[in-house]
Amino acid sequence: MATNEAQVEQDETAVSGQEVGLSHQLKQIKRDITARIGLYIVVLVTFVAGFSWFDANLGTITFGYVSDYTLAQAAPLLEHPERLPPPTDMNAHAPPAFVEGGTWEHPLGTDHEGRDYLSRIVYGTRISVMVGFAATAIGLVGGVAIGATAGYYGGRVDDLLMRFVEIIFAIPALVLIIVFTEFVSGGNPDIQYAVAGAGIASIPIFSRIMRSRVLSVREMEYIEAARSAGVKDRHIIIRHVIPNSFASVLVYATLQVGVVILLVASLSFLGYGAQPPTPDWGQMLSYAHGQMHSNPWMSVFPGLAILVTIMGFNLLGDGLQDALNPRIDN
Amino acid sequence: MSILRYAIDRILQTIPVLIGVSLITFLFINALPGDVISALYADQALGEESIRALEERHGLNESFFERYLSFMAGILQGDLGYSIHYETSVTSLVLTRAGPTLMLTLSAFAFAIVTAIPLGAIAASRRNQSPDHLSRIVALFGVSTPSFWVGIMLIVIFAVTLGWLPSGGLVYPWRAPGHYGFDSQLELYVQTVQSLLLPMIALGTMQMAMLMRIERSEMVETLQRDYIQLARAYGVSERTILRKHAFREAQLPIITIVGLNISTALGGSVVIEQVFDINGIGKLLLSAIELRDFQVVTGITLVLAAIFVIGVVITDIAYAYIDPRITLDGGE
Repeated sequence: MATNEAQVEQDETAVSGQEVGLSHQLKQIKRDITARIGLYIVVLVTFVAGFSWFDANLGTITFGYVSDYTLAQAAPLLEHPERLPPPTDMNAHAPPAFVEGGTWEHPLGTDHEGRDYLSRIVYGTRISVMVGFAATAIGLVGGVAIGATAGYYGGRVDDLLMRFVEIIFAIPALVLIIVFTEFVSGGNPDIQYAVAGAGIASIPIFSRIMRSRVLSVREMEYIEAARSAGVKDRHIIIRHVIPNSFASVLVYATLQVGVVILLVASLSFLGYGAQPPTPDWGQMLSYAHGQMHSNPWMSVFPGLAILVTIMGFNLLGDGLQDALNPRIDN
Repeated sequence: MSILRYAIDRILQTIPVLIGVSLITFLFINALPGDVISALYADQALGEESIRALEERHGLNESFFERYLSFMAGILQGDLGYSIHYETSVTSLVLTRAGPTLMLTLSAFAFAIVTAIPLGAIAASRRNQSPDHLSRIVALFGVSTPSFWVGIMLIVIFAVTLGWLPSGGLVYPWRAPGHYGFDSQLELYVQTVQSLLLPMIALGTMQMAMLMRIERSEMVETLQRDYIQLARAYGVSERTILRKHAFREAQLPIITIVGLNISTALGGSVVIEQVFDINGIGKLLLSAIELRDFQVVTGITLVLAAIFVIGVVITDIAYAYIDPRITLDGGE
């Protein structure tokens, strides 16, 4: 995969000599309108996702749209969805308010069990954001460890680790995660296994970026100095090499959050991720797929929610990338 | 180093990767819970005797290592094993299902390339004007939207609401027209195109968006090069510069991305086949996992990985062939 690395290395050369780092990136983002929109979306989505955590303390805020129970009642129950009380009004498949026959009681209608569709989509935010951050974190930690080790030591270690990464990379991510999920879960797939699988599938991209960064950092004089002063390798990697390579890794991490959310949504859609009754967007679309002819509106909003969330992370990631890479002046 | 040496080297490098892939998939898939025989005869109470006889017949009682070795020996002869559920060889199973998947993936790439390259180039030449903004918004939406949702929305709009196109299934152009009850060859082709249109767009949208972004940024960069500035100074028209001078150079990264994305697209076709009810490799894979037909799962995973690795190698070689600046010594 020489070409890919050539690209990454090209980016490196463009960066060297420039003032880079997080504070510089943040300054750039303030100026860039699209990155700012991305940042707002990410903050908003994260806020919505976090809302159900502290709402228990807010008492009986009903969010306006939860028909059968307040959020405060529902939040602890979400941990055990099977204990959710049966909906009092069984008006299943009620259409959204703006479609004929819909009411504002359920602005986006209800699902097949009469549950308010909007509340389910709002709860889905929490799942998607957690999925995105958790899986990216797994990939980031694994990838940075592998990439930094391979890049720093070089030679046989490098060959061995990078071959391993290539093997993971060669298997289509979706196939890899499905097989992994089935294997780890013992045939009962669920969202946490899909997240772990998506994390593993993200390792190759992070290890390659980390490795190529380390290859350039390794040659810096201060690393040479540390080495000749007798500092241990492990210490050099953790204290000097990784921090100095982290800015570009962070850009990819932001973009990877979107990639991972998309992957896990596809898995849930295929039945290898979140299981009903978890209000996961991919899982909701899986049900909606069977309702395309009778209730086509059901497909619209979970998909839009995925789109907006991923778009936020993409805009922010692109903005960070532009800030880091002054070669492309847009 | 000559290009031939480089090509041979590059091909040899893939062997350990492919062996690694085969070992890992074989290991994982054989460790999956459940087995095909109990899945297959779930409704019959088989005695221990007959289970053992069945296992023996399919070589399931041998050790893991023995099975792996005979599996690898088979692969070298182009034999991916035997599907116990479908009662046929995995190779022929994959080959019969490859048609729809290839049709879908290749047409998706064709769609992506044909739309992305002109749009990206136009965006670059009209930088920061409305065509550019529009194309960037389209690209942003493209990379942020799950392909299966694009598929569902296309079905809802064009099949369910408007009734213009079929909502699923593929019409295969290699079948006789009579098979579908069509009168002529022409009608068969028309129906093929109609049935392919929506899944092609669903699978191709993300590829299109990615290619468009790269095409745009490459063109922007190329148009700032000295030799382009020189041509401009000589009064060469912008159109000629775009077509004759800048365009070719900007296409190199596109080749790379197409090579690397074949695997993504094949993975994506698993989902799209499910959405549009297309009987391709993806659907075969999902049902084989369900049925615990591990030979089929291993075979398909290996084929997909091999396609990816070969795609990367071809890309690298093509790249080295086209762009003489690439050093063939490959050393770090």
